[in-house]
Amino acid sequence: MTIFKGYMKITKQNAAIIILYLVVFFGITLMIQSSVKSTMNDSYTAHSVKLAFVDEDGGEMAKGLMQYLEKYHQVTLTENNKEELQENMFYSNIEYIVKIPAGFEEKCLDGDEKLSVTKIPGSYTSFYVDQQINSFLNNMKTYNAAGYTVGEAVKAVNEAKEPSVTMLASNGNAGEAPVYSYYFQYIPYLLLSILCYVLGNILSVFHKPDIQKRMQASAVSARRQNMEALLAASVFGLVLWGISMAGNLILYGKEFLQSKNVPYYIINSLIMLVVALSLAYMVGMITNNTNALNGIVNILSLGMGFLCGVFVPLELLGKGVKTVAQFLPVYWYVKGNDLLAEYGSITGNVRTEILQAFGIQLVFAAAILCIAMVISKRKRLGT
Amino acid sequence: MIKIENLVKRYGNLVALDHLNLEIEEGEIFGLLGPNGSGKTTAISCMLALLKYDKGKVTIFGEEMKPDSYKIKQQIGIVLQNVAVFDELTVYENIDYFCGLYVKEKAKRKKLVEEAVQFVGLEEYIKMRPKKLSGGLLRRLNIACGIAHRPRLIIMDEPTVAVDPQSRNRILEGIKELNRQGSTIIYTSHYMEEVEQICTRIAIMDHGRSIASGTKEELKSMIKTGETVTIEAVAIEEAQIREIRQLPHVFDVRYDEQVLTVRCTGAKHNLIRILNYLQENAVSFGRVFSELPTLNDVFLEITGTELRD
Repeated sequence: MTIFKGYMKITKQNAAIIILYLVVFFGITLMIQSSVKSTMNDSYTAHSVKLAFVDEDGGEMAKGLMQYLEKYHQVTLTENNKEELQENMFYSNIEYIVKIPAGFEEKCLDGDEKLSVTKIPGSYTSFYVDQQINSFLNNMKTYNAAGYTVGEAVKAVNEAKEPSVTMLASNGNAGEAPVYSYYFQYIPYLLLSILCYVLGNILSVFHKPDIQKRMQASAVSARRQNMEALLAASVFGLVLWGISMAGNLILYGKEFLQSKNVPYYIINSLIMLVVALSLAYMVGMITNNTNALNGIVNILSLGMGFLCGVFVPLELLGKGVKTVAQFLPVYWYVKGNDLLAEYGSITGNVRTEILQAFGIQLVFAAAILCIAMVISKRKRLGT
Repeated sequence: MIKIENLVKRYGNLVALDHLNLEIEEGEIFGLLGPNGSGKTTAISCMLALLKYDKGKVTIFGEEMKPDSYKIKQQIGIVLQNVAVFDELTVYENIDYFCGLYVKEKAKRKKLVEEAVQFVGLEEYIKMRPKKLSGGLLRRLNIACGIAHRPRLIIMDEPTVAVDPQSRNRILEGIKELNRQGSTIIYTSHYMEEVEQICTRIAIMDHGRSIASGTKEELKSMIKTGETVTIEAVAIEEAQIREIRQLPHVFDVRYDEQVLTVRCTGAKHNLIRILNYLQENAVSFGRVFSELPTLNDVFLEITGTELRD
């Protein structure tokens, strides 16, 4: 097992770079996940807006609207002092101004009179107020058309129950992607960057023409040399995969183990490991220059990461990008991972789609390995 | 021990080995001498089955050498022209690794590695990585990696390229010692002095062919030159040069940059005859050298060109 041990010794020399990549991986994973969580929370939490209400109409409908808005926001009844209102808006004392002009009630109920509002441009919280005002006015018009008086309509609108939404989660994940699925999403970056860099480096060392000559002239058969090299690469790959799985268990152990999709997640990541190993082998064949290796590894890991939905979710990528990404193995890993995240239990067509994603990744791995072997043979004959 | 018959190797239109024939006996230090590009390294690569050749046969230890002749390979050690070691491993780890390709038994390997370290004098550097070694030390490490498993046949392809004279002498002494310990050695070089110093038999290669082979003495006896006399002299006239050429046993005279070079056949009193002529003709001269023929003279006479281009 001399060659195996040689690989392992040289792998140890790369310990610093492995640790660095692991730290970057876990750092980025945790950072992105926390940002994803906070974005999700912000997006779906009702927001209370500081609102100024100028009532020049004085009618029942205007008062009713103010009452309606008070249920959700901090409403201040104020005079129509343009300068003061602008100043308050500038200093963010208020975010939204509703101005009810004189005669609004009649004009609104009879026709299509629009309400004058002033808001901070681009503020998405103002969007909620717009929605609420439109909802109030539409309801008022509906009640009025149904024969309600303005007073009755105001009462009815203000007493109406808020509609409660029940999400029908047919996928078994209660409509939410499990948090560990994000972790699995980033695994290709970890595997590709570390395996391509470290194994690429080791392979390029072993494939230097003079070392290669010495190995070929030795008493160890070419077959045994390849077997030991393959064993070393597999052991290293499995250790790395094991570390990434351990990280997953530490961060999301209980939640992950309760999932019905655990075997699929494991198989998907193991297949990704095979893809990364074959790519690392090819990279090692292509170059024996450390700087070039660095560049190739970055292009591969970051390039595929961005194109194939590792860093940016697939649904946010353009159609053209996705079309290109389909020709890359990581796309199929992410696709499989997205399906696993979406569906709590895998059956029927979804299973077929997932198995298809697994199969395509394996085909990619085989193709890359074949290309690498052709390069290897050409290099050997060249010496 | 080694027989190379009619070996032909082509790289496209270039014929690197042109029906090369060689025979090497057990216990020899066999020198393969030739200018750069003469086909020495190609011959070594074919011998080791690292290169496919177009025609011919290589027999080592009585068996035909093939890429999968691992029994034969087990008994061969190679020292390549370029230093072939791992920069990532220490001196000791490198020797241990390459020795491990031949010797599985750990205790035996440890002993062999330690002996190899001692043999090349790298005891103080065993924990250092190759990048920190000087050129001479690196060459010694390169040799240790090739010989640690105590091979029966050692093939050394220009192991002293870019080595300082002190390290070179140490390496050459080491090679002689390996031979004394029982290894047969094939030594390629374009440094004729080295080959003359250590080799028991020599083949001179040019354009992929062996143009002459034998012991040093045999090779030198093949040529006309028996003695070369070199004299620093000023103002020798053309007519005088013609007269020197007419002296007995003189067959070639050159006068260039006030240095007179006279090549004579192997006869007694050549030097005295030439100096007498210069005195009689009142030609003042300075330093005088008399040299016996070298391998360079052999190469020059056979091919018409200098060995070191």
